[in-house]
Amino acid sequence: MSLFSWLHKKKPGLDAAQQQRLAQLPKPGALGDGSLRSQRWVVVDLETSGLNLNRDQVLSIGAVVIEDGAVDFSQLFERTLQRTDTKLSPSVLIHGLGPGAIAAGSDPAEALLDFMTFVGDSPLLAFHAPFDQHMLGRALKDSLDYRMAHSVLDVADLAPLLCPDVTLREAGLDDWLNHFKLQAGERHHASADALATAELMLILFSRARQQQIDTPQALLERLAQWKRRQQAPSF
Amino acid sequence: MLQNIHGTLQFLQRFPPFNQMEQAHLAFLVEQCQLRFYGPGDSILKPSGGPVEHFYIVKQGRVVGERPDSADTTFEITTGECFPLAALLGERATRTEHKAAEDTFCLLLNKPAFIKLFALSSAFRDFALRGVSSLLDQVNQQVQQKAVETLGTQYSLNTRLGELAMRHPVTCSPHTPLREAVTLMHEQQVGSIVIVDEHKAPLGIFTLRDLRQVVADGTSDFSQGIEAHMTQAPFFLSPDHSAFDAAIAMTERHIAHVCLVKDQRLCGVVSERDLFSLQRVDLVHLARTIRNAPRVENLVAIRGEIGQLVERMLAHGASSTQITHIITLLNDHTVCRVIELTLVEKGDPGVPFSWLCFGSEGRREQTLYTDQDNGILFEARDAVEAAEIRGRLLPLAQHINQSLALCGFSLCKGNIMAGNPELCLSRVEWARRFGAFIREATPENLLGSSIYFDLRVVWGDERGCEQLRQGILDQVADNRLFQRMLAENALRQRPPVGRLREFVLTRKGGEKATLDLKVQGLTPFVDGARLLALANGIHANNTLERLRQLVAKQVIEPLDGAAYEEAYHFIQQTRMQQHQLQTRENLPYSNRVDPDSLNHLDRRILREALRQAQRLQSSLTLRYQL
Repeated sequence: MSLFSWLHKKKPGLDAAQQQRLAQLPKPGALGDGSLRSQRWVVVDLETSGLNLNRDQVLSIGAVVIEDGAVDFSQLFERTLQRTDTKLSPSVLIHGLGPGAIAAGSDPAEALLDFMTFVGDSPLLAFHAPFDQHMLGRALKDSLDYRMAHSVLDVADLAPLLCPDVTLREAGLDDWLNHFKLQAGERHHASADALATAELMLILFSRARQQQIDTPQALLERLAQWKRRQQAPSF
Repeated sequence: MLQNIHGTLQFLQRFPPFNQMEQAHLAFLVEQCQLRFYGPGDSILKPSGGPVEHFYIVKQGRVVGERPDSADTTFEITTGECFPLAALLGERATRTEHKAAEDTFCLLLNKPAFIKLFALSSAFRDFALRGVSSLLDQVNQQVQQKAVETLGTQYSLNTRLGELAMRHPVTCSPHTPLREAVTLMHEQQVGSIVIVDEHKAPLGIFTLRDLRQVVADGTSDFSQGIEAHMTQAPFFLSPDHSAFDAAIAMTERHIAHVCLVKDQRLCGVVSERDLFSLQRVDLVHLARTIRNAPRVENLVAIRGEIGQLVERMLAHGASSTQITHIITLLNDHTVCRVIELTLVEKGDPGVPFSWLCFGSEGRREQTLYTDQDNGILFEARDAVEAAEIRGRLLPLAQHINQSLALCGFSLCKGNIMAGNPELCLSRVEWARRFGAFIREATPENLLGSSIYFDLRVVWGDERGCEQLRQGILDQVADNRLFQRMLAENALRQRPPVGRLREFVLTRKGGEKATLDLKVQGLTPFVDGARLLALANGIHANNTLERLRQLVAKQVIEPLDGAAYEEAYHFIQQTRMQQHQLQTRENLPYSNRVDPDSLNHLDRRILREALRQAQRLQSSLTLRYQL
């Protein structure tokens, strides 16, 4: 094995139809100055085999769409990925995806192609987004050799930004759900968590409009400002 | 099925009508839905928004309705409830602005999907078409279903008489010899024969009771035509009347057979026995036993049976109106019999008098637990004669009061009883007293008018009482000030529903928080209907009857009248079921209910019913500019 071949790892084995679908995936759109309401958003949540960013794998993907200011129940995404090489880890106690469910799942390449088709050119929203972005990015790279360039906004940042009156420190999804008395159908199920996150987002979009944040662009700017302030050393 | 579809479906299945819909239809509904969020004060639908395009289900939060002309909340819609059915079906804009009262999520179904669902699911269609009334029907069905379980019978008092009656009643012509007619009855094994003309119109009825009379009279000529012995012009109902109507008619008229007539032709006969086998409710027998009771002690014993009768009727799905009607009827019989027995025992005073009743008894709205509210009315030429007659009647009245107490009519704490000299008055004295109530609106007089102006004769001549009532109506119609005072009085008891909470409850000591069904639920309707009836020359006493006549006179809108009636009816029904439960568990009887002890559907309708009471009150506020 030469160094050369090691550097140019073989492309994953996609068939012709899959290659074609991959090529047809739309480029991510820019977050522009259209209205916040008319923007289509995809809210995503993943269940993974663990929290290790380099070793663990995506087991299932749940996503819902916010379009025209509403969650649309005719656009729901839900896939369990077939993983042959996962060992049973303690995280099974959280997401409840046993070896049986995972063995019965979809081919990862097919599922991820479906997911990216579902996403289209829309920006993504997730709670604790950096984790989901990394895990999803790695899975796309491994299975499709695809580099995801979509914007991913972190709901864990948007929530305190848009609700300055709420004092929750280091709040997790559960804390925010409790605060707004939202009920997730079944916590730690990717789809149910995505829906709960989307409900939280509907509230946050409504708060954004009250603060005259009317475009995705404005939302991004405020988010960047807020993050800079958070990171600025305090005296 | 996708997790989020499944989760939403499970959520919906907690509420009617979704809990009655097929799973496939429900899944279709969810898949077509959008989920939207509304912050506090956000307008969801408004009259200027054009025809309604979506069907809304509240997933979480609270939606309030506000009429454009006032900022008052007209309704509240919470988790699991839907809107706006009337506007959606009528393809028009909503008449009420719908606003979110707090953070609210709604599921929105678009109109084409709504229409498709409407066509697919009969449970959904039924609900959409009939709105809250269909909820009430569901409650009634539940009540009756329970009855079927406990009594193993599928019959109810609402059965059409046409389904109950003998198809081919035994008949003969007026000239048929007595012997031949009796032979016919014997051969057919029936207790009655109807005498008809050539067009089958009933001329008379001859029953086994009549035969007994014939034999007792010593008639020996059995070849005589039957028309000499029959009861002429027999009482009849149409086949569309209910078993309940027949039971009431038999009780009131002391008859055992009712002819069914359609287009002036006899088409059936219903006997007391047909009804018994139907309901096992021995109403007619009970009434007859009361009227023939030889001593007061017998009446005391019969009281217990009335309780059982009510229990059975409630179990058979009788409505609260039917039951209060029957209790009133049996109570009236008891009062009459007590008076008759007292007259026999103490001797006739030699002056005609009428026995009056007031309050709920006057309105024919008694439940089993009742106080005495009564008085005596007689005619006298002048004050001297009145005092003299009073002297003769009072000992008798006091005796009657005591006997009634033995029969379970508790003595009135406020001494509103005929044995009180102030309530044993001549017609002129009563008229003067009532006139003072209307002229001088002191708090005591207002309270008095709310009791005495529902007066009615139970025993004796009714004409004097009618004259008194006409006098009251004439004076009240003329006296706007008094009407206003009555209106203020009618607003005293506020229905216990709040803007922020489902119910406004009161807590006493360490007890659970409760609300009073009678004082907070029924009284607003009773007071409101009395005021409007008195002000508009309506003679009726019964609250529901007053509401109906107010609609007929166009004082209130038909839709409002129907809503008030349904609401009143439901609160009364809940109250009675509550009493029955307390009796069964040997608890002291109380009108207080803990809404949490009701099932979801009942609680929701109770809240809606109390809101109707609130609406009636705000209409009074408007009418009398309070």
